[in-house]
Amino acid sequence: MMGEKILTKYIAEQNCQTIDFYLAHDGYKALRKALSITPDAVIEEVKKSNLRGRGGAGFPTGMKWSFMPKNPVDADGRPRPKYLVCNADEGEPGTFKDRLIMTKNPHALIEGMVIAAHAVGAVRGYIYIRGEFFKEARLLQRAIDDARGQGYLGKNILGSNLHFDLFVYRGAGAYICGEESALLNSLEGKRGEPRLKPPFPAQVGAFGMPTCVNNVETFAVIPYIIEHGGPKFAAMGTEKSGGLRLFCVSGQVERPGIYELSMRTTLRELIDIAGGVRNGKKLKAVIPGGASAPMLTAEEIDVPLCFDAMMKAQTMAGSGGAIVMSEDVCIVEATSILLRFYEHESCGQCSQCREGSHWLARMFARIEAGKGTHDDLITIERICANMAGQTICAFADAVTGPALSAVRKFRSEFEDHIRQRRCPQKAMLRAPATDSVRGQTHV
Amino acid sequence: MCNTTDINREMGKHEIALNYCSNKHAVQKGANPAPKLILDGEVVEFVAGDTILQVAERAGRGHLIPRYCYHPGLPIAGTCRMCTVEVEKMVKLMTACSTPAADGMVVHTKTERVLKSRAGVMEFLLINHPLDCPVCDKAGECDLQDNNYRYGPVTSSFLEDKRTYPKAATKKLSEKITLNMNRCVHCERCVRFSEEVVKSCDLMMVNRSWHKELTLADDKLGLTSEYQGCLSDFCPVGALTFNDFRFVKRSWFLQRHPSVCDGCSKGCNIEVHSEDNIIYRFTPAYNEKINGHWICDTGRLSYHQVMDPTRIVRPMLAHNGALQATSWELAQAATGHLLETAKKVKVVIGTDATIEEIRYLQAALPDMFGSKFTFRSFNGTGTLSTSSQDKKLDHLLIMQDKTANLRGAEECKLAPLENGQINDSDLVLLVRFGRSAVPAVGNGQKLILLGVWNSAEQASLGAAVEVMLPGLATVEKSGTYINCDGIRQQFIPAVVHLGEGMAVNRLLRFTKK
Repeated sequence: MMGEKILTKYIAEQNCQTIDFYLAHDGYKALRKALSITPDAVIEEVKKSNLRGRGGAGFPTGMKWSFMPKNPVDADGRPRPKYLVCNADEGEPGTFKDRLIMTKNPHALIEGMVIAAHAVGAVRGYIYIRGEFFKEARLLQRAIDDARGQGYLGKNILGSNLHFDLFVYRGAGAYICGEESALLNSLEGKRGEPRLKPPFPAQVGAFGMPTCVNNVETFAVIPYIIEHGGPKFAAMGTEKSGGLRLFCVSGQVERPGIYELSMRTTLRELIDIAGGVRNGKKLKAVIPGGASAPMLTAEEIDVPLCFDAMMKAQTMAGSGGAIVMSEDVCIVEATSILLRFYEHESCGQCSQCREGSHWLARMFARIEAGKGTHDDLITIERICANMAGQTICAFADAVTGPALSAVRKFRSEFEDHIRQRRCPQKAMLRAPATDSVRGQTHV
Repeated sequence: MCNTTDINREMGKHEIALNYCSNKHAVQKGANPAPKLILDGEVVEFVAGDTILQVAERAGRGHLIPRYCYHPGLPIAGTCRMCTVEVEKMVKLMTACSTPAADGMVVHTKTERVLKSRAGVMEFLLINHPLDCPVCDKAGECDLQDNNYRYGPVTSSFLEDKRTYPKAATKKLSEKITLNMNRCVHCERCVRFSEEVVKSCDLMMVNRSWHKELTLADDKLGLTSEYQGCLSDFCPVGALTFNDFRFVKRSWFLQRHPSVCDGCSKGCNIEVHSEDNIIYRFTPAYNEKINGHWICDTGRLSYHQVMDPTRIVRPMLAHNGALQATSWELAQAATGHLLETAKKVKVVIGTDATIEEIRYLQAALPDMFGSKFTFRSFNGTGTLSTSSQDKKLDHLLIMQDKTANLRGAEECKLAPLENGQINDSDLVLLVRFGRSAVPAVGNGQKLILLGVWNSAEQASLGAAVEVMLPGLATVEKSGTYINCDGIRQQFIPAVVHLGEGMAVNRLLRFTKK
């Protein structure tokens, strides 16, 4: 199971982020191979690999690339340039895989982007990196400079007629800029607010030009696919989700971290690989795919971590960041903290999301403080129903996912909070309970 | 700073100014056969390129779809989510404002799901709204209020404290506009207006999420555009209010009558809001060919000129070297006498007179008093005397010619006054309606003033004035103007004149026994 690795093979080695190390380990070999075949053949290879976007939505990458118009022209008949954008705005709570790639294996990303540029005919690439990743941005910039120095970027790459260059653009710290159209707005210097779709970025993207946006990990596995062939990559995963994937495990496990595993791995296996729940405690809940995914209870974790199986389990594989919560965790408090994050990060464009995320966060905080009522649970269901699927982007769904799953799957905990007018978990940890919580009530 | 959040620009459809949406009609008309969709069970034809909401508007059923962020004169944002409708074969509810209509689409606007969604949006918008309708100027014409009556939830389950913007509760954005941020529903019409229509880019949103706030781009500068009043017009709530109207009148007392703005040669269509014939404000009335949805602030505030306390609204007669109020009989008799006895009379008509008034004077005066009249037009605003010299002062509406009917005067073959001076006549009949400038009058000529004058304008002509005959302002009379683009506009009285002023034909009728 823990056999072959793609991205994390050398991360323990010293200087693994340098171009010399990368070249010494077959780096940029795939690029040579890609340049020797036609763009269509590259896309075909990626399609064969069953590679699905690693950012969270799991859209087939090959198909996304094939959506890019071949020779786009504007109204006056002039050719429109095409752009490639790498989404390195890794803001999802519980996800930290892209950061590893950028610090330990940046040339895989660069090589993947050059190959993608060849495939879709892009003239310029932008890496939109999360504002907080200051060190990573510097490392990445150095890697790009090195690659440019050795002729892997710039004009006539490796003697071919491919011209392509890469630029690092730092965000300003907004979670929503991880949404691709908000990212494009931010890249253009505007407010990071998702755009109405259609038109999709493949038609009207960065600066109004056709743009292909992919996640860091997606680009980084492209060299492997080109070098070893799509079918080999596909065989590593499930029928519809090919390949290995970086899974981030955080929360109360013995060995939190990043694990590169097949998409066939189940959630239970992933937790076991990460050492199991810390201190031998019982598992209470897992958020399987980054904070936006609905929670799973301890009984529901025997599902493979591929996109389709997760969808079937009414959650999502998302960005592959599993947050493990043991029996010590108060679900109300955990959800409340998550919602505080979403309340802060909504872009404020759509009515439901702006007001709803705020309302939910306040309500969960109130319940956690012991001032909730039974009506609140009904209200939460209603708010979530009014929010989910009604907004421009998927942010509202990301808010309602954890909130709704918490209320539905751990209803007794909420009821305990309301009935006891305090947080039972905290009360257990603290001194014997006295009737110290005052100041409610709306019954 | 001039950022656009608009998809239209990127799609190359960005064609401006007055009306984003109706522009499409002209361009894409003539698709044969016209595509159709079914709106609430009724087959509706539409023009390719329309969105569902535009189709509904075209079919006269726009009232079925509530909206906040959508405004026909602004680019589409699709953010308030109020206009969602159910489209068959589509999983999600679709926003009518941004979903392009397609042939054969089946659209429902009244299903339970849609109503639930609207009630949801209303609930979200209301939880943090101060609900201060009793003291809010927008009450009575507030979209939030109206939609809540139709679609909103009956009660609220919001137990938390309402969001407030302490520092920005009521902030003067300029001399004309006050912002009450607590009432805002974040539709961003104002931001899009300032960026895309007037291009002053002086409004913007700061912060995100629930504390997103509307602010000035430059606090010291304030709002800079000439179209600030429009902000208050289309603000769906009482967040942006026009200081001139603020706390002046409850909107439900107002009667609304159409008229034409005579502030410049553009001839914007307006709605006159009055109670008991006292005008409280002008608002724009939609006219696709002339002003779209907008009017400038100068035009909007020009009702003050009609209601001006110094406006002369009683006939006056010179007596012992000073003008004194008198009766119409005496004033008309004096006028008749002066016209009868004079040998050479010059009639100088301001280009703010209607075509009917000019024609009447041209025909009636020689008919009554013989051919001793020479007729001249006078404009005097912006140093122009013919319509060919007229030009736009900005990209939207404002014209250099500050009178409404220069082209009309030209149509009546009225020659402009030479050198802007009146000389060589015994008697001058000076007809103007408050808009054209006051011409210079050479010495030794007697003067009869007719029309809309205020006391300062009258006083500037000194002792030569023999008679003053008050007339009617544009909103008080009927007539025809031809605007700078040659568009002929007829209008009827919007209010009844409150003074003793008379229409020109009535007022001259009894001057000759």
